[in-house]
Order: sequence, then C-alpha cells, then structure tokens
Amino acid sequence: MKSILFRFLLLYFALQVIPLDIHYYADVFSLPGSHLGYRGLFVLAHYTPRFFGSTPSFADWLVVAALALIGSFVWQRRQPQPDWDRWRYWVTAIVRYRLAIGLLAYGFIKLYPLQAPFPSLSNLNTPYGDFTRWKLFGMSLGIVPSYESFLGGVEIVAALLLLYRKTASIGALVIVFFTGNVFMSNLAYEGGEYVYSAYLVSLALFVLSYDAYRLFSLLVLRQPTAPNTWRLALSRPYLRWGAKAAVILVFVILYGVSAQRGYRHDPYQVPGGKGIVTGFYNVSLFRIGRDTLPYSAMDSIRWTNVVFERWPTISIAANRAAHIDASNTEAITAVSNLDKTYESQGTNGRSYYDYSFDTASHVLRLTNKDPRLGYDTLTLRYDRPDSTRIVLSGLSPSHDSLYVVLDRVDKKYLLEEAAHSGRNNHQLKL
Amino acid sequence: MSITAPARPAARRQAFTPAAPLREPYRPWKGWEKISFRIAFVFFIVMSLPNTAQWYAEVARFNWFRLNYRDLYDVARFDSGIPVSRNFLGSPLIGYATWLWTLVIAAVAGLAWTAVVKLRHTERSEYNLLYYWLRVIVRYRAGIGIIGFGFTKLFPVQMPYPSLGVLDTNFGDMTAQKVFWLSVGIVPWYQVFAGVVECSAGAFLFFRRTTTLGAIMLMGALGDIVYVNLAYDGGVHVYASYFVLLAAFLLVKDVPILYRLLIGEKTAAPLDVYPVLHAAWQRYGRWLLKGAALFLFIVVLFWLQYVNFRYDPYKQPAVAGVHALRGRYIVSEFRVNNQPVPYNPLDTVRWQDATFESWSSLTFAVNRPLPLELGNGGGAPQRDIERNFEISGVAGGRRAFHYFADTVDHVLYLENKYLAPVPGERGRRGGKHKDNPEKPHNSWISATAWTHIGNEVDHIDPLAASARREKEYAEAPKVEKRDRMILHYETSDGSHIVLRGIDERKDSLYIVLDRNPIPYALSESSLQAGKY
Repeated sequence: MKSILFRFLLLYFALQVIPLDIHYYADVFSLPGSHLGYRGLFVLAHYTPRFFGSTPSFADWLVVAALALIGSFVWQRRQPQPDWDRWRYWVTAIVRYRLAIGLLAYGFIKLYPLQAPFPSLSNLNTPYGDFTRWKLFGMSLGIVPSYESFLGGVEIVAALLLLYRKTASIGALVIVFFTGNVFMSNLAYEGGEYVYSAYLVSLALFVLSYDAYRLFSLLVLRQPTAPNTWRLALSRPYLRWGAKAAVILVFVILYGVSAQRGYRHDPYQVPGGKGIVTGFYNVSLFRIGRDTLPYSAMDSIRWTNVVFERWPTISIAANRAAHIDASNTEAITAVSNLDKTYESQGTNGRSYYDYSFDTASHVLRLTNKDPRLGYDTLTLRYDRPDSTRIVLSGLSPSHDSLYVVLDRVDKKYLLEEAAHSGRNNHQLKL
Repeated sequence: MSITAPARPAARRQAFTPAAPLREPYRPWKGWEKISFRIAFVFFIVMSLPNTAQWYAEVARFNWFRLNYRDLYDVARFDSGIPVSRNFLGSPLIGYATWLWTLVIAAVAGLAWTAVVKLRHTERSEYNLLYYWLRVIVRYRAGIGIIGFGFTKLFPVQMPYPSLGVLDTNFGDMTAQKVFWLSVGIVPWYQVFAGVVECSAGAFLFFRRTTTLGAIMLMGALGDIVYVNLAYDGGVHVYASYFVLLAAFLLVKDVPILYRLLIGEKTAAPLDVYPVLHAAWQRYGRWLLKGAALFLFIVVLFWLQYVNFRYDPYKQPAVAGVHALRGRYIVSEFRVNNQPVPYNPLDTVRWQDATFESWSSLTFAVNRPLPLELGNGGGAPQRDIERNFEISGVAGGRRAFHYFADTVDHVLYLENKYLAPVPGERGRRGGKHKDNPEKPHNSWISATAWTHIGNEVDHIDPLAASARREKEYAEAPKVEKRDRMILHYETSDGSHIVLRGIDERKDSLYIVLDRNPIPYALSESSLQAGKY
C-alpha cells in the first residue's frame, strides 16, 4: 500500500510537469515570430496538462491522478523493488526545475513592472466602484512599481534557490507562503490564475516534502536530526551543470534581458505609439442630429467627459454602464493595440476606443476595444481651434450627425499629489 | 531553580536520531558571543517594554469588567525603545532613529556590563539560561503584539469595505495609502485569511516548540507589510519592522543548525536549555502567567473583537442610518435660495451626486477644492462623527456629513465630518466659536428634536457597550467648529427623496435625489461588518 502511494505521488508529479500535452505544443508553435522574446518564453514556461479546453481546471488534476494511479499499478507489476531514492531524487529534480522556470516567468514580469502597469488616465478617472475586484487588485499593485519589483525579486530569488538541491527546500518554503498568498488572492479577487497558482503551490509542497520531516524534527520536535545522505552519482557530471546553465541562460539571462527591453519599449499590457493629445476633457457641448443635449446627470446618450491617453486610446464616459470585459488571466501574447485590453478590462465606467488618425485630413478612426461589441468603428473629424479645445464631428453609430466640443480640464490627482506624505506623518494609527 | 540539559523525548525515528549527543550543550561561549549577548539583552528588553508612562496609566485606568476591544489592543500595541531624539545624526531615518539610539545605549550598557564582570572576575562562561528568558520575553511581546493586530483582520474591520461615497470617487482621487487599504477592504474573506496567518503566528510564539514556525510566519508576513507601508506611504513601516526585528532575533538561534542540516548536510541538533522549575510557586506561577496571556489575548480578545466586528466596526460609524434613505443618488434638482441650479459638472455649488450610507452619513461631491483629511482614518474614536475613514485620503470634492436623525419629524441635523486641524497644535482639531463661546454645542437642535433623536451613545447593541465608549461620549468637546446643515427629508421608499432646509451658509436648499440605477462593477462580499 505504501509502495503504491509512493509510486502514485512520483508518477502524479512527473505527469504534472513533463510536457506531454499536445495543446501546449500547439500554443508554443502557433506563436508568431515576433514573440521570440519574453512573451514567447512566458508561454513556454506556463505548462500545465489540459484535458478540457484551453483554461486549466482542477478536473485536469483528477485526470492526471487517475493516470498516475493506473500507472502505479502497472509499475508495481513491472518493477516490484525500485530504487526509491533514485526515483525520488529524479522526480524532485524535474519538479524543482519546472517550478523554478514557472516562478522566473512571473518574477521577471514583476521585477520589470509589466504585469501590473500604472493605471491609465482613464482608469484614474473612473469611480472605484466601477471596477471589478481583479482589476482593482492589478491597479492597486500598479501604483507602486517598486513594490511590484520587490515581489518579483522574491519570486526570482526563490526560483534560484530551487535550482540547487541543498537550498531547494528553503526556496520551496518561500514559495509555499508566497504563491500560497497569490492563490488566496486569486480566489478572493476573482482572478483567473487560481488553478495555476495552486499547481505551483502543489509542486512547492512536493519539493518541500523531501526535507519536511527533517525540518519538522529539528525545528519543532527539537531533536538531533540526520541530513539527507543520498547523492546522485552521475557518470557525466557536466549534465548537472549543463542543465543549470541552460535554465539560467534561457530563463534568467535571455528572459530577463528581454523582459527589461519589453518594459522599456513594448510593455505587453499597454498599447504602443502616440495619441494626438493627452488629457482629461470635459464635454462642453454635445449635439446629436439637431438636438443640443444640455448637461444632464441622467441622460445616457450624452457624453460627460473624454480621456485621451498618451497612446492612441480614447475613453468616453456617459451616464450608463458600459459592458464589462471580465478577462482575468495574463494575455501576454497580444500584439495589436486593439488586443492590448488591460486598460479596458474589468470596468463598466467608460467605453474604450482604439484609434488611428490622419493629421493631414484631421480624421480619427475609432474602434471599440470590447471584442464582444464587435469592434464597432466610428469615423470622426477633429479640429483643434486652440490648445485646450478639440471639436469632433461626424456621424454617430446610429447615423445621426454628431458634433462634440471638448475642453481640457487641468486635473490634479491626489494619488500623485499626496505621494510620500505618509512617511512624514508621525501620527498615524491603525 | 537549576539548569538541566534539555529533556529529549525518546528517539521516535531511529534513522534520524544518532545515539551519541552531537554537541556539548555547555560549551563555554566565546568572548564576542558574550558581549553581543549582553548588548542584545539590554536592547531587546528595552524594545519589549512600553516607553511611555501614558501606557501604564491607561492600563491602570481600564474598567476591566466593561472592556472595549481597543483596551486590549492598546495593551498589545505600544511603542518602545529609548527616544533620545527624533533624529539620529541629523536625520529621522524615516522613523528608525529611536532604534539606533536604543542600540547605542544598549551597546554602552552591554560594554559596561562586560567591564564590570571582568573587573570583578565574576564573568560567566555562558548565558544559556538568561538567553532562554530573554527569548521568552521577546516571544510574548511579539506574540501579543501581532495578535492585537491580527484580530482586527480575523474579524475584518481594519480595512473596511468601501462606503458608497468612496465607491463613487475616482480611483485617481485617493492617496496610495487609501488605495491599498481599500484593496484589502473589498475582499473581507482575504482579510480574514491574513488575520488567521497573523494570529496563528502569534499563538505559535507562545509555545517553545512552535516558536520557530511562528517566527518564520511572522517574518514573512510582516516583512511584506513593511514593504507595503513604504511603497504605499502607509506610515506604519516602523512598527511592522519591529515585528520583523523580533522575529529575526528569535530565528537567530536556529539559523546555524538549519544551515548545518540543509546546506552543510551534517547532523544537526538544537541547543535548548530550559530552566527547571522546582518550587510549586514557580510551576504554578508559570502556568498562571501563561494561562492569563492566552486567556486575555486569545479568548477575551476574540470575543471583544467579534463584538466590535458585529456591532461597532471601529473605522465605520456604528449607528445605523435612516433605512429609507440609504443608497446612491443622482441629484436631479438643486435650488439654492429658490434659484434652480442646473446640473453642470463644472459648477462649484451644486451637488454632483449624493449617497446615504448604511450608517449615519450623507456624502456628496461638489466641484471645488476642499481641505483634505490625509490621515488613515484609524485610531479609536468612539463617536461616530470622528470616525472618518470614509473621508480620509479621499479627494474629488467629496464631503461627508454625520447626521442625527429626528425620524418623527423627518429632519436630519448634519455636521461636517471634516474638522480642520488647529494651527500649531499637533493632533488637536476644531476650534471654539469665537463669536459665541458659551453657546453649548447642542443648542442648534431643539429640545423636542433631541427627545426624538435620543442619545447616540446608546444606539448600538448593548453587547457592544463599554466603559471607553461612554467615557468618550461624556467627555466630547462641548464646542466644535463644524459646518452644519438642517435638512427635512421626504421619501416614500428611497427611490425619490426631497430634501429641504438650510446649509452651513444659512442658504436655503431644495434638493431632489433619485436613486442611481447603474450597478457597480465591484461585487459585494458575503461578509459585512456592523449591524445597520
């Protein structure tokens, strides 16, 4: 019975980490050539066996467990007396490397704060209640890049500890707490990576199990404790260094450099390029068809304000709830500005449009960023009578004529104004 | 009392337990070990004790039979160290100057101690037993301190769920500190989880064998909180670091053996020297003290914190607001002195939107700059009007008014929750009415209305009554300079409200509110603090 349990665990974890799933290869090989950098490596590092569709689920774990159970009976028949220590070492080693790679993938996109970018101007001008929990979680991290880097640093250090057998348990212990917390956050904030984070935690627990009893004996029972004495004798010792060197070269050096460059030039959550202007604009005049709609706190047609981002996105607020794009996983492979939807995800406060513009003919071509709304387009002429005013005119989606006057509001944000006042305030109480 | 080798249980797992003792428990300490210990001894004793007389005075004054959670919280939460000056070498070192001063003084004392024992030739060969007692003190200090913190999360009140007024405020109009607090506030179940981690770390520190585990958890959790406070300007990085420091001290003992076992791959054994208590009074005394700490900071505090969560969440006003009014409103009509003011997002007088909270607050946004409350909405004010989490760190022109409700005549007596700090007086707020200093503060409400309103102090569940609450209500300042409004309200079911009355400038107001039908994107939690 004990023998079956042991075989089961070894097979279970081996099947969880060895990439045998064809979905994975389909994902990896369908990556465009432009993704050879950190984005492609991120996909490469994100393996889990999937039997039901594209998102990992706990049902996949059950299938893996069933396969492992069958396998362990077969194994027992074929090899009644395996060299347990050797098997255990090898499976643990593979799991250690798999876990380290997974952590490095997330570590570097936090070290260079790509995962949670600073909230866009539109997001700053959206009421708190108009975001989902997951979006608020991301934005709350996004306002403190230094903290995000620190969290990434913890993941990277733990990953490096996992690459060495002697420090692996310390790395695994850090990850049980760290990624355990990520898992709880995913549950609490309705995030989409709860299966994957639980997967990483399960791997860390398996790695930790190698030394768990020793640690318990020494630190809790306070008894003299013997160390691990089993060592792998490799006929070709360079294999060991080769494996470490390969992981470090690809997932630390290459990936790290690429993530850093991505952070500088091509952050995956933020659209690229420049917009015509940047700022928050009040809608001073709104005419549709022949009607000039006055300011109204109730009217759901009239726009109330418009934000122009630094990049070519505008967002429009009106007295209506926009559709919520509830994506909550890492969409690291988005290439076009239209697909980079972090800014518009998880909020019903504003409608987001990607745009292109022609400075000669003064034309804006807007495309709604919500895929479920079928990428509506809207073509408007823009004029800038002075530096603070923009006039938009053209046809509305319902083919009425549209004439909108936007005036720039010089808005200050407490988030930025109050930065670093707390540390000097000695009177804070909890 | 005498010293004995640690009592080790019979080897359960022969494979891990070599036959011979591995290290001599009583090896003499090296010179540098003894000197560092003497310095550490003075340092950590000082760091484990409250450094103000006020703490002792307060503890002595409690009514121990009618406790408020905050009483025990304050026992657990104190500052320590020797604050020689706010600066060390000319800099406050972002608040760590006291630590360094304490270290300097501890170093001087430790060296003096060394000199005295050397001169008198009374130097001991080791301090194993004293080290044990020092660890006991640090363990209990850290355990009690973190439990005080942890319970406010276990029953999620430290980070309240955002009120309607806050939900209607733009993300950019909040301080970073506010954003962080709210980001935890929106997920009360996660806050419970954080509380479980903190409280169990603290509870583990009360027992020898689980101390290391508790210290590792404490170090991990509070290390993160230090960084959070630095990044978000939370302002309590020093107090959070304090627990990291204490946890690190508790781990120092086990780091060498852990290193030896895992990295050195050699057999390792802990060196634990425990005192043997012979006399009955010593044995009973130990159990009495330990039992008292566990009872007070786990059992009693659990109950008090539950009551606080259920009936009196300390950052939210405790008294329920008028039921029919609660909600999020569009301001459909607004007249000042009978002049209609049409809706205009740029208008500086008209209310842009309004909310009636679950408790006795009305908030509304106006498009003009206002003085801001930049604290963190913490502390332990008992009076609802002083509980200002809903406005602290929040801009966007939002104002919040506390009200007394006369539900017989349908009148709200409102007072601005924001109170300007008195210039030159740190921490003191509010001023006297210069024109009419003798006018008592409650005369703006008629005697009849007061009989309808009742006494706010009694408007919470009797279970939550406490000596602290009554004392604070009784000692409330008689004269406070706050903006006041008196508004008569009319509504059938809260979907449509008409407010009539006068504002702080004695202008007459006529306001029509209609419930805003747009749902929030943010989902509500199944766990809500307070009974409203």
